[in-house]
Amino acid sequence: MDAAIRTQGLGKRYGETVALNSLDLEIAPGEVYGYLGPNGAGKTTTIRLLLGLHRPSAGSAQLFGIDAAGDPVAAHRRVAYVAGEPFLWPALTSAETFEYLARLRGGADVAYREELVRRFKLDVDKKVRALSKGNRQKVQLIAALASRAELLILDEPTAGLDPLMEVAFRESVGEAKERGQTVFLSSHILSEVEALCDRVGILSGGRLVDEGTLEQLRHLSAHVVDVTFDGPAPRLPELAGVRVRRAGENALRCEVSGAIRPLLAALAEQPVVALSSREPSLEEIFLHHYDSGGEGEKALPLNLPRVGDGGGGR
Amino acid sequence: MAAARAIARRSFADGRARNLSFALFFAVMALIQAVGYEHSYPTVKERLQFAASFGDNKAIRLFYGVPHDLVHIGGYVAWRSGGTLAIFVAVWGVFAAVRARRAEEDSGRQELILAAPLSRRTAFRAALLGVLGGAALLWLATWLGLLAGKLAAGPSAYLALAIVSVGLVFVGVGALVSELAPTRRLALGLGMIVFAVALALRIVADTSGALEWLRWASPLGWAEEMRPFTGARPAVLLLPAAATAGLLYAAARISLRRDVGTGVFSSGDRAAPRLRLLGGPTRLALRSERGTLAGWFAGIGLYAIVIGLLADTFSTANISQTLREQLHKLGGATIVTPTGALGFYFLIFTFAISLFACAQVSAARHEEAESRLETLFALPVSRRGWLGGRLALAAATALVLAMAAALLAWASAESQGSHVDLAAMLEAGLNCMPSALLFLGVSALALALVPRATALVAYGLVSVLFCWYLFGALLGVPQWTLDLSPFQHVALVPAQPFKLAEALVMLGLAALAIVASLWAFERRDVLGA
Repeated sequence: MDAAIRTQGLGKRYGETVALNSLDLEIAPGEVYGYLGPNGAGKTTTIRLLLGLHRPSAGSAQLFGIDAAGDPVAAHRRVAYVAGEPFLWPALTSAETFEYLARLRGGADVAYREELVRRFKLDVDKKVRALSKGNRQKVQLIAALASRAELLILDEPTAGLDPLMEVAFRESVGEAKERGQTVFLSSHILSEVEALCDRVGILSGGRLVDEGTLEQLRHLSAHVVDVTFDGPAPRLPELAGVRVRRAGENALRCEVSGAIRPLLAALAEQPVVALSSREPSLEEIFLHHYDSGGEGEKALPLNLPRVGDGGGGR
Repeated sequence: MAAARAIARRSFADGRARNLSFALFFAVMALIQAVGYEHSYPTVKERLQFAASFGDNKAIRLFYGVPHDLVHIGGYVAWRSGGTLAIFVAVWGVFAAVRARRAEEDSGRQELILAAPLSRRTAFRAALLGVLGGAALLWLATWLGLLAGKLAAGPSAYLALAIVSVGLVFVGVGALVSELAPTRRLALGLGMIVFAVALALRIVADTSGALEWLRWASPLGWAEEMRPFTGARPAVLLLPAAATAGLLYAAARISLRRDVGTGVFSSGDRAAPRLRLLGGPTRLALRSERGTLAGWFAGIGLYAIVIGLLADTFSTANISQTLREQLHKLGGATIVTPTGALGFYFLIFTFAISLFACAQVSAARHEEAESRLETLFALPVSRRGWLGGRLALAAATALVLAMAAALLAWASAESQGSHVDLAAMLEAGLNCMPSALLFLGVSALALALVPRATALVAYGLVSVLFCWYLFGALLGVPQWTLDLSPFQHVALVPAQPFKLAEALVMLGLAALAIVASLWAFERRDVLGA
């Protein structure tokens, strides 16, 4: 069986700027894949290449074994796409937009679409021109989900949605997953990715810097050890594979990659009152990559501003 | 005030490309007429002959207005450039003001600006100040062009002012329709309707003796009545000044009262679904362009009727050999019969329909610039199918437009008892097509190869080549440079026989350009604005 998405050495440069560098992806049918990265990391560029909207400078991309740049029409029969910015026809109402998009595709699951319209609480007789960004986003989402396409490519699909609608979105993606649809979810919202995705790829500066299931990523990344002392936190000696940060007056947060024993030995002589060890959250994995990997990227706060990534690629 | 300065500067910069191309065009037009006159009519005798033959020529008045003095270079230039440039500057005014006001608001940027600590009054004034800066540039360019043509400084400045005064009135019109219409498109449409009415009034006034007073009802007529170089009447300047002030005042009043993002004519935000013409991108294009198409049909139809009515104004009895020769220099042929006159008039349709083809390709590029093609091409829609469909739609509508012009001109000529052969008129309609398709192909090629410059290449080429055809001959340049313009190879049907070989060459080139554009468009990145 062909992979839903396969890229080999996929690269794109815009003039002097390398937007994407030698990307190798393989996503199996039925998989829900989270695609993470900061603004300008190359997420939207990847999607444009997958859809054949932009021509690759190097390598190739296939959807279900069909070359994305060579035969986009055949590939797109099996794909539905939700863009980061909703670009629709302002003079059409939502109902007319659904009809138009369905006719271009050659059909849609109308009963499911009506259910989605109720779920997302969309007024379908309103012209797109008069809709807020979040509501326009719903139009795109509903059209894509109701297409029942085998592969959903979603570029920050919840940008502009309120929390209730995010719940509706997660429910709908869950349904798609149950039905065996493949989902490629590019996102900033780590909780969303953590809740929905089987596998995660982290993109930074146009390169895929990490990839795997959440468990694998956690396993490969540093464990977090929080230590609280009786009194001011002491200075610990330099230890290989351990990064120490102050976490308040009396506490330290240690990121341990590799063996934990040297840290325990160093702590043994200190007045430790509490010690907890846990696996890193996706947020910590994510920030870890920005701190170290991505070409001078600074650690970003969680809940990054979500606007503007769509234009970042170009 | 810093904020106002920033807005005015932004507004001026937004119009930079338009202002510069118009300024260049104005300077060249002003210069070309002065040089052309010296070149074509070097002696007093020739000038007297020219003036005698043109004194009452209605066919020529239709385009250029009424001449007051054709024996001196100033009067000639005021007539030839004044009439033409007044038309161009009016269009400029509508576009510039709508760009600065309604397009800003349509895009949502105005909300951002009004969220800053500045009043709406300041925002309004500053945006229009930027537009007026553009008008000043046009005035300067025209003046410099006239000076370069060795005309006197003072009267040249006055002529340039008379021309630009028309633009100022239409800046006022553009500002007002921007307050009325909720979208940029509708605002432009309304502005162009006002322009068409003003032009129609001027034409009627200049071509029919009885209704001459109508000239006072049109800003284009006021510019004529200022009589630069022919007994200047600067008091007439009060009319455009008052009209501009009145229009801007009304627009400012409305802008202070209404909600941002809305217009006086509110568009319905809700509608029951209408499912016609949703079957594909070409059909949707027909659906969404129908307002624009109606405008083209109205404009072209109106002028077809006018020229049909005027076709009989020549009679062989009072036409002199001199006039024939003079007309030939203007690009006319034998216009001594109604058929001949229609052939001469149809030249304008050849240009208008070529322009229409360019406008259609620009509209297609606009779809892409607004990023809607990303949505479209993520669906199973082929790029070739999309562009091919748009081009086919443009070609088909251009054909319908041309044939409608031919039929209406024929019917209106017939109603005046001037007998024109219907078949010959249909041939005149068809004769508009080869050049229109050639420009369609070239514009499509621009869309495929230099997408962001599509409108510039399309409109620029068609305007420059048409003007070159009209005025290049006056400069006495080598024939091969004139032959570069496709319009040079369009016969004045029905006055001249249809040039089959030339038409076939143009159609062949058009087909090549279209095939190449389809090929190249499939192989490039889809590019936003």
